[in-house]
Amino acid sequence: MVQLDSVTKVYQKKHSSVTALNEFDLQVKKGEFVVVKGPSGSGKTTLLLAIGGMLRPTSGIVTVNGNDIYDLSEKKRAKFRAENIGFVFQLFHLLPYLNVYENILLPDGVAANRAGLTEVKEILDRLRLTDRAYHKPGELSVGERQRTAIARALLNGPDILLADEPTGNLDSENAAQVMDYFAGFHNNGGTVIVVTHGNEAEQYADRTIYLNNQLL
Amino acid sequence: MILKLLIKEILHRKLNSVLSLLAIITAVTLFVSFFTMSEASKRETIRLTRDMGFNLRIIPKETDMNQFWLTGYSDLTMPEEYVDKFFLYENFSYAHLTATLHKKVTWRNREVILTGISPEIEPSGIEKTSMIFSIEPGTVYIGFEIANSFGITTGDELDIFNKSFTVARILSETGSSDDIRIYTSLIDVQEMVGKRGEINEIKALNCLCLTSDEINPIEILRNQLNEVLPDAKVIINQTIAVARERQRMMVEKYIVFILTFVVIVCAIWIAALAIINTRERQRETGILRAVGYRIGKIAVLFLGKALLLGLVGGIFGYFIGTGLASLIGPEIFKITANTIKPVYSLLIWSVIVAPVFTAFSTLIPASLAVTRDPALILMEE
Ligand SMILES: Nc1ncnc2c1ncn2[C@@H]1O[C@H](COP(=O)(O)OP(=O)(O)OP(=O)(O)O)[C@@H](O)[C@H]1O
Ligand SMILES: [Mg+2]
Repeated sequence: MVQLDSVTKVYQKKHSSVTALNEFDLQVKKGEFVVVKGPSGSGKTTLLLAIGGMLRPTSGIVTVNGNDIYDLSEKKRAKFRAENIGFVFQLFHLLPYLNVYENILLPDGVAANRAGLTEVKEILDRLRLTDRAYHKPGELSVGERQRTAIARALLNGPDILLADEPTGNLDSENAAQVMDYFAGFHNNGGTVIVVTHGNEAEQYADRTIYLNNQLL
Repeated sequence: MILKLLIKEILHRKLNSVLSLLAIITAVTLFVSFFTMSEASKRETIRLTRDMGFNLRIIPKETDMNQFWLTGYSDLTMPEEYVDKFFLYENFSYAHLTATLHKKVTWRNREVILTGISPEIEPSGIEKTSMIFSIEPGTVYIGFEIANSFGITTGDELDIFNKSFTVARILSETGSSDDIRIYTSLIDVQEMVGKRGEINEIKALNCLCLTSDEINPIEILRNQLNEVLPDAKVIINQTIAVARERQRMMVEKYIVFILTFVVIVCAIWIAALAIINTRERQRETGILRAVGYRIGKIAVLFLGKALLLGLVGGIFGYFIGTGLASLIGPEIFKITANTIKPVYSLLIWSVIVAPVFTAFSTLIPASLAVTRDPALILMEE
C-alpha cells in the first residue's frame, strides 16, 4: 500500500522556487493499477520519485508498505527500494557497459530476495530478450532497451512498479507490449503506478488520477 | 559484483581510463627513475669531486698547528725518505708531489723565508702542469718584495750563506708571504741550514682516489696515510669537494621541486579526468540508486576505480621508471653506472602511494557525484 499525506515538494533554486507538489494526498491500495496523467510540469515525475524513495519531499509523509520511507536510514531505504520497488523510466536508464543480462541482474547485487538463474531465463524469455542477452544497450533497439529496463524492474519480484512514461519513446506496438507486461505483473497481485500521456494503459487501469500544475 | 562493474566500466570508457593511467604512470615513472638514479648521482658526484682533486699537505706529527698556520710551515722536520714511502703508497694518484724545507733566516739584515723544493716526482700517466717549480741546484727564484727592495734582477749572482747562486727568475707579486721567499733546490737549503736529509712538508696536489668507492673516501685515505706515515700529520684541503657536494645538493633540491610540480600537474590531470568521468557517470549513479545501491557502495565503485588504476599505474610506472633509469642512467653517470640497480623497495612504495594518490585526486569529484540527488539526475534528460 502506498500512502501520501500532505506531501509538498518545492524545488529551491537560487532566485526562484517551484512547487511541484502541493499538500498532495494519495492512497493506492495493494494490487491497484493507477494511471497518473497531467500536463507537463505538473509534478508527475516528482510524485513517482517521491513514492520510490528517491526524492525527499519538502514536507509530508510517504508511507509504502507501512514504512515511513523517508524516516528510514539511507542504507535501509536503498535496501527497501531494491526489494520492494521496481522503477521503469522513459529513457530506459541502463548501464552502457553492461550487457542485457548483467543490466537485468544489477539489483541482484543488493537485494536479499535474489533471483535464480531460472527466473532470469524466464524473464528474458518473457520479454523476448533471450537472444539479445549478451548485447550492450548501445546495440539494442529502443523497444529492446525498454524491455530490458522492465525486466530489471521485475526481476526481484517487487510489490510496486513505478513507471514514468515507459512508452514515451516507443511505437504503438511496442507500447502495447509494455502495457501487457505491466498487466501481467498487476494480475499477479502487483501494484502499478504508471505515468503516461497515451491511452494504452486505460484498459488496465483501476483508476486514473490527474495532476494539475497549480503553481503557487 | 562491485568489482565486476568497476572493471567493465574501466574497459568501457577506455580513453578516460587510459589517460588516467598515463598520468599515474608518468608520475610514478619520474619518481622511480629519479630515486633509482639519485644513488648513482650521489656516488658520481663524489667521484667527480675526487677527480677535481684535493690537496694534501703532510707535515711532522708533532707540529704545533697554531705555529703552522701562522707561519705557513712547520717548525719541525721529518726524514726525506717519507717521500719515497708516500710514493710507494698506491691507493691514489696525484699530479704533483714535492718535498719542501722552509726556514726563516736573516739575509742582508732582512727576515726572509728560505724554501727548498725537491725535484718533482712525476707519477706516470698524469699530465704535468707547472704549478710548483722544480729548481736546479745553484739557482734561485726570488720573491717579488725581496727583488724589489734589493734591486735584484734575473741573471744576478747572489751570495747566500756563503753559497753563490744565479738568479733564474724574479717572481711576480703574489700579495702573500711568497713575496719574501727565496726558492732554491731542496738539497741547497738542506746544506745551508744544516738539515741534510730532512724536510718539513710533502705536498701532493690534485690527488685522486683510485680504489675507494666509499661515501667518504678522504677519511679512509687519511687513515691509510696515517698507517703508511705514522710520524706524519695529513692536512687535506677539501674546499673543492665541499663546493661540489653543495652543488649536487642544490641540483637535487631543484629536481625535487620539479618533481613536486609534476606530481601536482598529474594530480590535477587525474582530477580533471575524474570530473569528466563522474559527469558521464551521474546518470549511472541515479540508476544504481534507483535499483537500490546505497551511496557507500557507489562510492566504492568510484574510488575502487581510482585505486585499481593507481595500482596498475604504480606497477607499470615502477617498471618503466626502473627501466628508464637503467637505460639512461649509465649515459649520465658514466663512472658509477654499475651502482644503478633496481630499488625494489620503490615497488612497494609505488604500489601503495600511487593508488592512494589517485584516490585522493578522485575524491572530490567522486563525492560530488555520489552525493548529488539521484532523482534530479534522473529527471535531467
Ligand atoms: N531539479 C529541479 N529544479 C527545479 N525545478 C524542477 C526540478 N525538477 C523539476 N522541476 C520543476 O518541477 C515541476 C514538476 O516537474 P516534474 O518533472 O515532476 O513534472 P512532470 O509532470 O514530470 O513533467 P513532464 O510531463 O514534462 O515530465 C516542473 O515545473 C519542473 O520545472
Ligand atoms: Mg516527467
